[in-house]
Amino acid sequence: MKSVLLAALAATVLATSAAVGQDIVVAHAQGETSLTGVPTKVLVQDWATFDNLHALGVVAAGVPASNAPRYLQEAVPADALRIGSLFEPDFEGIAAADADVYFVAARSAEAYGTAKDILPTIDMSLADNADIIGGIEGNLTKLGEIFGLQDKAAELNEALDAKVAEVKAVAEGKGNALVLVTNAGNLGVYGPDSRVAWIHNQLGIPSAMPDVEDGDHGGDGVSFEFVLETNPDWLFVVDRDAGTGESSGAAAALLDNELINQTKAAQAGHIIYLDPQAAYITMHGYTGVMLMLDQVLAGLNG
Amino acid sequence: MRMLSLAIAVTIALAIVSLFIGVSNISLLGLLSASPEERPMQVLLISRIPRTLAIILSGSAMAVAGLVMQMIVRNRFVEPSTAGTTESASLGFLVATLVVPGWPLMGKMLIAAGFALAGTALFLRILRAVPLRDVMLVPLVGIMLGGIVGAVASFIAYRFELLPSLLAWNMGDFSGILRGRYELLWIGFGCAVLAYIAADRFTVAGMGRDFTTNLGLNYQRVMVLGLVIVSLVSATVLVTAGSIPFLGLIIPNLVSLMVGDNMRRTVPWVVVMGAGFVLACDVLGRIIRFPYEIPISVVVGVIGSAVFLYLLLRTRRHA
Repeated sequence: MKSVLLAALAATVLATSAAVGQDIVVAHAQGETSLTGVPTKVLVQDWATFDNLHALGVVAAGVPASNAPRYLQEAVPADALRIGSLFEPDFEGIAAADADVYFVAARSAEAYGTAKDILPTIDMSLADNADIIGGIEGNLTKLGEIFGLQDKAAELNEALDAKVAEVKAVAEGKGNALVLVTNAGNLGVYGPDSRVAWIHNQLGIPSAMPDVEDGDHGGDGVSFEFVLETNPDWLFVVDRDAGTGESSGAAAALLDNELINQTKAAQAGHIIYLDPQAAYITMHGYTGVMLMLDQVLAGLNG
Repeated sequence: MRMLSLAIAVTIALAIVSLFIGVSNISLLGLLSASPEERPMQVLLISRIPRTLAIILSGSAMAVAGLVMQMIVRNRFVEPSTAGTTESASLGFLVATLVVPGWPLMGKMLIAAGFALAGTALFLRILRAVPLRDVMLVPLVGIMLGGIVGAVASFIAYRFELLPSLLAWNMGDFSGILRGRYELLWIGFGCAVLAYIAADRFTVAGMGRDFTTNLGLNYQRVMVLGLVIVSLVSATVLVTAGSIPFLGLIIPNLVSLMVGDNMRRTVPWVVVMGAGFVLACDVLGRIIRFPYEIPISVVVGVIGSAVFLYLLLRTRRHA
C-alpha cells in the first residue's frame, strides 16, 4: 500500500516536473546559461534575433528602441517595452521588466557581461560570416529548443535550405557579381567575409573581385572606375543610407552615371537592390534573409 | 619668381601623375591611338580629368580661404576647420537635406554657405569678447565653437538617423567625383581669384582695425568680403568632396615662412602649394591600398597634423 502510494506520488512529481520543464542549459557564444522551464517573458536587444523569434511565433515583450526594419515593423507588439538602442541597453528597464530570458547579439554582445548578473542572458551572435545561412539555422534550432518549438524550427530550416538551393540553381552559370555598398555619395565593396557573404559563399555566385578585404561597415572604398574595370555581370547594391534611415533611391541616383552605365551589369539591367535594412541592420534574421533571397531570385530571373 | 615657376612645374607634374593613376589602365600611347569612344578616353574625360580638376580647385581654394581667414582674424592658427566654419557649413547642409531635400545641390550649397557665414561671424563675435593674450587661445575658441556646432549637428542627425551621412560629409573623399559632380568647385575657385584681386585690402586689414581705417579703407567691408569668401569656399568644398582638415592652416603658414606676409605675393604660392599638396595626398591615397582608396581627409590629416605640430612647436620656441 505504502509503496503504491509512493509510486503514485513519484509519478505525480515526475509528471509535474515534465510539464513545468526541467532546467535546460543553453550553450552560446559567451558561455552557458541555464533556463528554468519555457521562458514566457522575452526581452531581445537584436533585430535579427527578434526576426527569428517572430518567425518561430514567439512574441517578444521587450525590443530595441531604434532602427526597427520596415519589414518587421508590423511584427513588433505595440505595447512592447523599449529597452534601449542596439548598442546601449537600458539596464534599469531590463532589470525592472522581471523577464525570463534576454537575448543579445552582434552590436549588443558587450552587454552580456552586465546583463548576465541581472537575468538569464543568451548571446546569439554568429561565430563568423563564412556560414551565415548555417548560423541562422543553428540559431533557429537553439531557439526552437528553448521554447519547445523544435518542429517549427526544423520546418523553417527546411524552407531556408530549399530557398537557398533554389536560388543557387538559378544563379549557376549566370556569371559573377560585385556587392556594392553606397554611403552618402561614396562606394564600397563587400567581400566574401562581409555581412552579405552568403551571396558568394552560399549561393555560389563568384565575386568579380576575389580578394576583397572584409569591408565591415562601409566596405572597402572604391571609385566608379573600379567598378567599370572589374566589370561584373551582376551588381548587388546595399544602400547604407537607406539602411540606417535615409530615404531610398539615393543609391540608384548615385549609380546612374556614365561609368557605371558602361558596365555589363548596368547594360543588361542586372543591378539588384537588396533590402537595405535586412542587409545592413538585421543581417542574420530568417525573414530578412528570406526576403533578400527572394530579391536575388527575382533579379536573377528578371 | 624662379622658385614659383618650379613649384608650378611640380604641381603640373603631380596633376599629370594624378591623371594616369587609377584602376583603369590609361597610357599616353593608348590615348593617342584610341578613338574618342573607346574606354581609356572615356575614363579620362568622365573620371580622371574631373577628379584632378576637383582636387586642384578645392586644394587651392581651401588654402586661400585659410590665408584670408588668418589675415582677417590676425592669427596664424585659424582656418575654416579651427573656427567652426566647416562644422557650421556641415550643419547647414544637414538642415538643407532635412528641410528641402528636393532642392538642387546648388541651393543646398548656398544654405550651407549661409550657415558657414553665420558660424564664422559668431566666432568673430566671441573673439571680440575674449581678452586675447595668447595666440593659442584663438584657435582653441574656434575648435570649441566647432565642437558645439558639431554636437548640434550630431544630435539632429541622430534624431533623424542621418549620422552615417553626416560622418561621410565630414570625411573628405574624391573617389565619387565624376563629370557633372564637381562643377560647384569653380565657385570656390572664383572666390580664390576674388581674394587675389582684393589681396592688398586683406594685407592692410591684417594690420589691424585702426591701421586700416587710417589708410581710408572700410574695415567692416573688408571683413565681410573675407567672411563671404571663406564661407563660400568651405561650403562648396564640403558639399562636393567633404572636409579636408589642416589644409588651410599649414599651406599659408609654410608659404609665410618662405615668402613673407604680403598677400599679393603669397596668394599665387598658396594656390600652387595648396593644389600640389592635395594632389600629392590624393595620389598617395590611391596608391597605398591599390585598387582600394584611402579618403583624402585621412591622408591629409596624418601628414597635416605632423606639419601642424611642427608649426606649433616652432612658434613656441620663437615666441
